[in-house]
Amino acid sequence: MATVTIRDLHKRYAEGFHAVRGISLDIADGEFLVLVGPSGCGKSTTLRMVAGLEEVTSGEIRIGDRVVNDVAPGDRDIAMVFQNYALYPHLSVRENMAFGLKMRGTPAAEIDRRVADAAAALSIEHLLARRPRELSGGQRQRVAVGRAIVREPEVFLFDEPLSNLDAKLRVQMRAELARLHRRLGTTVIYVTHDQVEAMTLGDRIVLMNHGVIQQIDAPLAIYRRPANRFVASFIGSPTMNFFPGAIRDGAFVVDGDAARLPLADDGSGLGSGQSAALLPQGPAVLGIRPEDLVVTGDAVPFTTAVIEVAEQMGHETLAHVSVGGSSHVVRVPGDRAASPGDRLSLGVRPGGVHLFAADDEGRRLN
Amino acid sequence: MGSLLRTVLLVLLVSLAAAAAGCGPHDARQVVTIWHQSRPNEREFLADEIARYEAEHPDVRIRPLYKETEELRSGFQAAALAGAGPELVYGPSDVLDTFHTMRLIQDLSPWLPEAERAAFVEGGLTTLPARDGSGRRELVQIGDRFGNHLALVYNRNLVANPPTTTDELVKLAVASTTDADGDGRTDHYGLVWNYTEPFFAIPFVTGFGGWVFREPESSPPVPDLGTPAMTAALGFIRDLRDVHKVAPANCDYELADSLFKTGRAAMIVNGDWSWSDYLENPAIDAAVAVLPTVDATGLPMRPMVAPKGYSLNANARGSAAEAAMGFVRHMASDDVQRRLVQRLRMLPARKTVWDDPVFSTDATLAASRAQLENGRLMPVATELRAVWDGMRPAYQAVLGGSLDPAAAAERMQHDAEGFIDSMHRRIEPSPLVPVLATVVGLGLLALLVRQLPTFVAFLADLRRNPTAYAFALPAVAVIFAVIVFPFVWNLVLSLSDMSLVRFRDWRVVGLQNYAEVLSDPKLWGLSGVFLKTILWTVINVSLHVALGVMLAVALNGPIRGKAIYRLLLIIPWAVPAYITALTWRGMFDYEYGAVNLMLGKWLGLPAVNWLGEPLRAFEACIIANVWLGFPFMMVIALGGLQGIPQELYEAARIDRASRWQQFWHITLPLLKPVLLPAATLGAIWTFNNLNVIWLVSNGGEPQDSTHILVSYVYKSVFNLYRYGYGAALSMVMFLILLAFSVVFLQRTRATESVYR
Amino acid sequence: MKEPLRITLLRHAVLLLFVAISLYPVLNVVSISLRPGDRLRSTDLSIIPPDWTFESYVKLFTEQPFLRWLGNSLVVSGVVTLTGVALASTAGYAFSRFRFIGRKATMLAILTTQMFPATMLLLPLYVLIAKLGLVDTWLGLMVFYTATALPFCVWQMKGFYDTIPASLEEAARIDGCSRAQAFWHVVLPLATPGLVITALFSFMTAWSEYIVAAQVMQDESMFTLPLGIKGFQASLSSQWGLYAAASILVSIPVVAVFLAFSKYLVNGLTVGSVKE
Repeated sequence: MATVTIRDLHKRYAEGFHAVRGISLDIADGEFLVLVGPSGCGKSTTLRMVAGLEEVTSGEIRIGDRVVNDVAPGDRDIAMVFQNYALYPHLSVRENMAFGLKMRGTPAAEIDRRVADAAAALSIEHLLARRPRELSGGQRQRVAVGRAIVREPEVFLFDEPLSNLDAKLRVQMRAELARLHRRLGTTVIYVTHDQVEAMTLGDRIVLMNHGVIQQIDAPLAIYRRPANRFVASFIGSPTMNFFPGAIRDGAFVVDGDAARLPLADDGSGLGSGQSAALLPQGPAVLGIRPEDLVVTGDAVPFTTAVIEVAEQMGHETLAHVSVGGSSHVVRVPGDRAASPGDRLSLGVRPGGVHLFAADDEGRRLN
Repeated sequence: MGSLLRTVLLVLLVSLAAAAAGCGPHDARQVVTIWHQSRPNEREFLADEIARYEAEHPDVRIRPLYKETEELRSGFQAAALAGAGPELVYGPSDVLDTFHTMRLIQDLSPWLPEAERAAFVEGGLTTLPARDGSGRRELVQIGDRFGNHLALVYNRNLVANPPTTTDELVKLAVASTTDADGDGRTDHYGLVWNYTEPFFAIPFVTGFGGWVFREPESSPPVPDLGTPAMTAALGFIRDLRDVHKVAPANCDYELADSLFKTGRAAMIVNGDWSWSDYLENPAIDAAVAVLPTVDATGLPMRPMVAPKGYSLNANARGSAAEAAMGFVRHMASDDVQRRLVQRLRMLPARKTVWDDPVFSTDATLAASRAQLENGRLMPVATELRAVWDGMRPAYQAVLGGSLDPAAAAERMQHDAEGFIDSMHRRIEPSPLVPVLATVVGLGLLALLVRQLPTFVAFLADLRRNPTAYAFALPAVAVIFAVIVFPFVWNLVLSLSDMSLVRFRDWRVVGLQNYAEVLSDPKLWGLSGVFLKTILWTVINVSLHVALGVMLAVALNGPIRGKAIYRLLLIIPWAVPAYITALTWRGMFDYEYGAVNLMLGKWLGLPAVNWLGEPLRAFEACIIANVWLGFPFMMVIALGGLQGIPQELYEAARIDRASRWQQFWHITLPLLKPVLLPAATLGAIWTFNNLNVIWLVSNGGEPQDSTHILVSYVYKSVFNLYRYGYGAALSMVMFLILLAFSVVFLQRTRATESVYR
Repeated sequence: MKEPLRITLLRHAVLLLFVAISLYPVLNVVSISLRPGDRLRSTDLSIIPPDWTFESYVKLFTEQPFLRWLGNSLVVSGVVTLTGVALASTAGYAFSRFRFIGRKATMLAILTTQMFPATMLLLPLYVLIAKLGLVDTWLGLMVFYTATALPFCVWQMKGFYDTIPASLEEAARIDGCSRAQAFWHVVLPLATPGLVITALFSFMTAWSEYIVAAQVMQDESMFTLPLGIKGFQASLSSQWGLYAAASILVSIPVVAVFLAFSKYLVNGLTVGSVKE
């Protein structure tokens, strides 16, 4: 087990594309770190540089105390699970799992023991003699994970391992990966574009965009205090509602005076410990998560709106309303009637206000 | 894989060991290599005589090597040019002028004193004027026999007595042309012979009073083809088939031969080489007779005759030359000549043997001798080739019905003169050569300077990426080691005047060859060779790929017997193309070919004159070539299909894609990376595929109409010895293919992977 | 997976038709080989001539050094096959996986070597071989055949490698392989169909060539098969019986090699390894 340290990492391709632009990270021993972001954000490139599959343009990667920039992938003591599993089609499941150990000259008895252990842990003992093409998608996934864990590496690397599975299997494998990590305690770097995986699996999440880290924090911290508008919109489902407008006279005024939210120091909207006086006056964007935009009376009153579409989920209803000409989502408890045409009077739950700068960067203001 | 590999390796090692064992101790004897054109029974005689000679001369080893006519000619030219080659060449006298003009053979006078020459029959020794212009004649061949003369062979089961005049010939032939079973198809023909080849028309021409060269023969000789005699001879030949209907509609050598051998033809005009086969054939009762006299002129039909003998390589010197000539003198000696007559029933070159009693006891030999005595000596002139090439298209046009005899005779004269002209064309060095050289040199220098940064980057890349270069280098090195020298050679040659008259002393003359290539209307016209080549390539490759993919897809399903189908379908690839191409030629025969027989029998279609009409002949070539090529593409496609994940089809089925849509949207795109290189190279190979055209349409027949660029080059280089021109044309072909490949590969992005 | 009967029948119909088309001309060759008296043509559709005989086959083995030629050809073709596969599999890999300077230009240049009419190359090629003292040796032939077969083989192997997902190699490298080991243990086994085609093609190139061989080989005891068979053919007096019989016999090893390899040709291995 080991720490992974990344210092000012850059990746620039021959064609000139600058995929990773100066990333620094400290990953603790035994930590489950998730790299998340939209496609093309540089998360996979970063992972592949850690794996040694991509050359580092500049910067430094350490695993433990060792700088591994120029170490061959096979000598970095890592294991990786690929999005497409990358099982060796000409080898049986057993041989697939044993391959890495064999290449390292592990004694046969030791290989057998480790393969058996890993197979048991993943309940794939009955598949050991088969070839990959005779397996279902979920089984292939388990074999791919199995092939990684028999190696007992310092660091596990996962490159979108669940994205080829169907929804049900994905939930199941997610839980299994979490259990596995708890049991093995190995450092994990996990790349995904799926925020649910990121939230549920990660000890910490690294959110990337355009080759730059947007925020590093524990899942809940990221959810509660997104550092910028991009993070806010990426994490959370349904997405956070954004209202362009301006901070003026102790209140947030939605463009076109469509709505007005008072910003007081009482913790009702901004959350406790935040001062409305410190907020810069002028254009800004107000963000409210759907579950914070409520119809109950104990919230800070905000606006009224008519339901255009209502999505009944049973335990709740997602009501799409129009405020200031753009569409927003409100979570209505399932026991409350909500149908198109109904007029809702909306308020904001205490602490549910996120304010961002109106510029492209969209830095958090409160 | 392991066990198979081991087996292959084992076989290899065993055979290598066997090969090593066979090498034996070093042979210290003087080796004399002979390239000869002897037929199988003559080869045995030669082997016996060699054994006898070697026993008498233990320090000499004679190594005979059979070479087919064309192969001997072009092979000897190449070998002699490289300063090597066999010490001796043995064959008919017709190539001697070429070898002599190219300075590939030496004067044999020192080895055969004047006094000894009297022992030879006239024509037995071939002399040619020395190239130094002294008027001296050099001895270029010492003959050991005469031959190659045509005569009439008749089947005594069908014809009791041979005809002595052409009227009798026609009468007899008409009488023995029969349809015994009355099915409307002729069962027996009266007279057959190879009437696609002008050599076989010569007896008719001489019978009507004509000849190939104007007399007395000048230097260079002038063709004499546009004569009334030629017109009459062509008319007579045409009437034999069309008026008297005694010969099959299309008759080449092999058909005539097979018909006579199976007793389906009463008479055949064929050469001395074929007679023993007929005489020994138990199915017929053959006899040889002198060709008849033409009634219209009262002249006998006189075939061409030629001596066969030995010539000495210009590179043979010292003891090798001595040993070689020792053997030649042995072969031309009285004893050997007598054995030749008695055993092979061949006509000797030495006078002294002509009194042998066997001449009076052997009827065939007597007839052969009589025919020889009224034959005409084949002119020893390179220009004879131009005469044949000039005669062939017009002759075939007469028989194809598109030209009347008088016009054909005129065309022959014109074409032959043209060919002789281009054979003798001398190209003067352009005054621009130094300018050209400077420009090219500067251009290369500029290119080098421009590429310098790339080269520096390359050096850096080499250090950074050594694995890549290490993997690529060995193959690239082998490929270029073989090609670079021939490429440069060809490039230089294309700028030179290398030809018959300047074979060893060629000079760089400039771009004249290119100018001639680019201005040739025969090449670039609307019905020209170039467009035909494109048509040929496109049709062939499309059909190869289409059929290959279709069959691979058909094989790639859940059906029984796949392994057997697969095996049977690659058979056209496995059997040597030479024999199958000739088989296809047979299958396209007008009267007896399987294609026409099947079309008639099963589809009730009229017979198609596949090999006699230009367009049909081209189609026949295409059909044969498609047959030869589809298995290869099938194998490629089969391999490619294995890489396509089955899930894609499952997904497509869920999307309710039809089979056709699946094929079009999944199979084809994913076959692309594997098929593209094969298709590109397939196009290049097809573009340059000489064999099929040459074999199926017998070298461009009818009337040189099936030529594609490569067969056109072949003909101009090998028949007219225009090496510079041929090299320029092949450079142009190279550039055409290069342009095609660059555009095609760019458009299809073949150098990139599908998944990238 | 079951297919509709209609489709299965269609498959059989197409395959049977083409098997017939493939076989008929070859049966004609068989027929020629069975005819006495060297008759190339027949006047009817019968395959077995009424006067058939195995004489030509017997003669091949008794009167002709057919077995010697066969052995020679096996050695030459075997060596060419091995070197062809070895060189093409590595070079193809480089062209598929690496991006290096001159990659595209070299690939095109390789192709250009096939663009010359072979007949024009004979003379300079012979001059080259003669100057290198390789006349009458197999080495010259082997190098030439390998060089002739390689351009196609390199391109073909590159095409096959292109279809093998890069992640398999990456997985192997993380499992501790060097690039070369990943190539040997993972990529090469997956490119088996390509290797089979390369092997078949190299084999066929060496197995059937005679024009260059005729120029280079002077010693009859070192003749390859096609060269030996070529001797049966002469202008206007070919020994068609021997020629056809030998042609049939020559194709048997080809068919055998194909039979041995075809299992690997149609065993798709990449299927199911990765999910795209």
